[in-house]
Amino acid sequence: VSKPSDHLQGTLDLLILKILALEPQHGWAIAQRLMQVSGDVLQVSDGSLYPALHKLEQEGWITATWRPSENNRRAKFYELTGPGRRHLEKESANWQRLSAAIAAVIKLKEA
Amino acid sequence: MRWLHVIPLRLRSVFRRSRVEDELDEELRYHLERQTQAFSANGLAPDDARAAALRAMGGVEARKEQCRDARRVHLLEDSIKDLRYAARMLRRGPGFTAVAVLSLALGIGANTAIFSLVNATLLQRLPIVDPARLVYVNNGGPSAGAVFSYPAYAELRDANQVFDGFATWGGIVASLNADGATDLVSGAIVSGNFFDVIGVQAARGRVLTPRDDVTPGAHPVAVIGDGLWHGRFGGRSDIVGHEILLNGQRFTIVGVTPPGFGGAQLGVTRDLYVPMMMQAVMRPPRAGYTGEMDADLLKVRTNQWLFGIARVKPGISTAQMDASLSAQATAFHREVQPGAPPRPVAVTPVNDGPPGQRAQMVPVAALLMSVVGAVLLIACANVANLLLSRGAARQREIAIRLAIGAGRGRMIRQMLTESLLLALMGGAAGVLLAWALVRAWAMSPPPPGALPVALDFTIDLRVLLFALGLSVVTGIVFGLAPALRVSRPALSPALKDDVHVPEERGRWLTLRKALVVAEVALSLLLLIAAGLFIQSLRRATAVDPGFAAGKLLIAPLNVNLLRYTWPQSREFYQRAADRVAAIPGVESASVARIAVLTGGGSTRSLHIEGREATENQFQSEGRGLSAAGRRDAVSSNVVGAGYFHTMGIPLRRGRDFGAQDGETAPLAVVVTESFAATHFSNEDPIGKRISVTGPRGPWRAIVGVVRDSKYLTLSEEITPIVYLPLTQHRENGVTLHVRAAGDPAVLVPAVRAALQSLEPNLPVPNIQTMTSSLAASLYVSRMGAGLLAACGALALLLASIGVYGVMAFSIARRTRELGIRMALGAERRDVFSLVIREGMTLVGAGIAIGLGCALGGAQMLAAFLYGVSARDLPTFATVPLVLALVALIACVVPARRASRADPMTALRCD
Repeated sequence: VSKPSDHLQGTLDLLILKILALEPQHGWAIAQRLMQVSGDVLQVSDGSLYPALHKLEQEGWITATWRPSENNRRAKFYELTGPGRRHLEKESANWQRLSAAIAAVIKLKEA
Repeated sequence: MRWLHVIPLRLRSVFRRSRVEDELDEELRYHLERQTQAFSANGLAPDDARAAALRAMGGVEARKEQCRDARRVHLLEDSIKDLRYAARMLRRGPGFTAVAVLSLALGIGANTAIFSLVNATLLQRLPIVDPARLVYVNNGGPSAGAVFSYPAYAELRDANQVFDGFATWGGIVASLNADGATDLVSGAIVSGNFFDVIGVQAARGRVLTPRDDVTPGAHPVAVIGDGLWHGRFGGRSDIVGHEILLNGQRFTIVGVTPPGFGGAQLGVTRDLYVPMMMQAVMRPPRAGYTGEMDADLLKVRTNQWLFGIARVKPGISTAQMDASLSAQATAFHREVQPGAPPRPVAVTPVNDGPPGQRAQMVPVAALLMSVVGAVLLIACANVANLLLSRGAARQREIAIRLAIGAGRGRMIRQMLTESLLLALMGGAAGVLLAWALVRAWAMSPPPPGALPVALDFTIDLRVLLFALGLSVVTGIVFGLAPALRVSRPALSPALKDDVHVPEERGRWLTLRKALVVAEVALSLLLLIAAGLFIQSLRRATAVDPGFAAGKLLIAPLNVNLLRYTWPQSREFYQRAADRVAAIPGVESASVARIAVLTGGGSTRSLHIEGREATENQFQSEGRGLSAAGRRDAVSSNVVGAGYFHTMGIPLRRGRDFGAQDGETAPLAVVVTESFAATHFSNEDPIGKRISVTGPRGPWRAIVGVVRDSKYLTLSEEITPIVYLPLTQHRENGVTLHVRAAGDPAVLVPAVRAALQSLEPNLPVPNIQTMTSSLAASLYVSRMGAGLLAACGALALLLASIGVYGVMAFSIARRTRELGIRMALGAERRDVFSLVIREGMTLVGAGIAIGLGCALGGAQMLAAFLYGVSARDLPTFATVPLVLALVALIACVVPARRASRADPMTALRCD
């Protein structure tokens, strides 16, 4: 099993944080949401989602609580913390700068 | 803020592990169920749906492991496992553990003990309020450590703009008479604002205030220290208001300072505080010191005796303070003496300690720390060596662990855990050892006067932290190389239990040999230093002082504390000498201003009648003052009748002082042989006239020449001395010299009784034999030599263990090779000499490196040595021989074992 590259890892973290910024969610719902919004472009394996969640929790960006889910089973819901929200803002800005820069490079016309 | 979330999580991961694991299970299970449902809803059969969900997860156990990694539980868990494993390994090799812990304990213990000394002298802070804002105010510049006259202090106190408060104190020694006994007490005479400036409150009663410091002579109140209260007054509860006699005058105790407070100078404990206005009683000037018998020190500008301490206003830099104070001091001084040179005044932070003390202690501390540091390094090298041989023995175990997938990083961490555990055990034992050493020191304190400061050192929190830090660093230092080495075996031979691959053996040995060479070099350094110190001490003790030191008792007679007039003093000296001389067992007794070889001296300007004169006109007295090497000045002493006889200083020419040298008779002096040789090389000195007062006399005729003797210290060059008769030169305050027929020590009680029967108010606590006073002056050298010798011996022992260990290891690894050699016809003695040669090559390399370093670094020791060159040939020749001999013995044991091996057994040994 090859580890996702740092870049991809960072991207996954950003996506999770963004999804959680909308509303608290449990793992499975996050995975569904990822697939929906990215229109299947971003194939995040279910497996790599949980280590990422645990890591974000350890970092203090998100925090978890157990409560009943929509099908009335106990599920672990994650939500953004204050520092996590600030982290997300910073990382989103970074990402936008980076993608704008890459887009600009790609649009260069070959002579 | 983030840590508010993080810390409880981490702790939970470790301490509520099963709970966390259950949650992880449940979380993943929930995901799988939902996913299975989702796939079923898309039309998959239930079993297929479940399988698809599991596939999408990609291995549940692996994911769990990744989640655990994400939670970082492994780091802590592994550490605990490592620790358990390490403890088990150490228990399994009790011999190894004992040797390693013992070496480390000796190394860390020695370092901790010496550090507690450094802590006590250089790092301690005065127990006073906000010391960061306190400065010492030094008259004459930062290094002078010098002092103010009272008028100069008072002017600056009133005029300065930089201090919130400027206090002063002068050292006093007072005769304390209370409850029928008289003692000498060391204390301070302080300005009224002293306690306010340094921010110290009374533990009982009150401290002195500016109201106690208004009218000269009108404030007979005193504050005593906690030590005096408990030591002298038994801690009695009615101490406040208690009346005592100080220097014969009645004083009332108004308060007690808190425990631990000993004045404004670290390392000097003062137990008595009296107001400045009581100067005339508490610090009577000595005759001959100011030139006036009854100088009023509160008015005299030339007599500088007061230390300054001040609390600075916030926001003023040191440079600003110095500039402003210097300008004011210069201006005041020029009002009295127009056109006088500038008067620099400089402040130094109280937290830096008294400037002089620091300068004295730093080189000593540096020397001691490097010596014990070297011992610790040797101990480290030894333990590293032991770890390497254990590592070699554990190659198989380690290779197996590596082969079944343990990472090298894990292995290194585990080995470092082992060495850290060892180091911490060694550190704990070392602290116990240091504690024992400090206790032993407290049990046998140095003789009074042996050290410049009172050392009160204890194992406090800072010392403990030092020991802990040292243990951790030590553990890494000796553990890292073996851990790196051991964790990288050549796998396949190690698994086959065959470490006898030549290349492999070579790499093992190189590191171990390098360690042994370093050990030998370091111990050579220590042994040479020890040798030099011992030589120096031997020279110093063997020096002939020039008088019969072995039969002398000396007792200071501080009659100035009794405020005697000159006729009273003169009569008292005569009666004291007569009374003591009448004691059975006393041959003779006399008095002298300076008790030679106790550190105090007196120098005077010198003029010889008929020769061209300088305008020099001075006389100064104090610790360490000698006119050595000057032609325009001379060391001097004022002596009573019979002094030369009592001291055992033989007369060479002319006559001794006698009845004819009365107060009104022509002035007479006696000089030493070197004085005559220096100033009257080819003339007869008898009858020549000299002046020790000024260029215009009064002239004193030389009536006799006596043998040279040492003046300030045993280690000094012979310096010319002029003796003046007490009859013609007033001195308030002399030392009684008593010459015994037999052992002088037995006479101490009788002499004390005789003196106290003459004058009950005279404190004479310090009657000592000249021999013990000399021993006190050699105390530091003796301690230094003892310490270095102990460290050197320890280093030698450790290094020979190291040599033995590496040779035994080398031979054990070469049993087959040696077997082949012997099978092919090598004699036992060939094998024997092969091993010896190999071992001694290492020792030789170590000695060569050590000698090189010693020759290069010896100059650093020169300042501590007396009568021995820092490159003393006998020391440099003997020490390597001794070291080589001991190392040879360490090689012989394994060499004999090797040469006795049976070739057949050796060949089959695998």
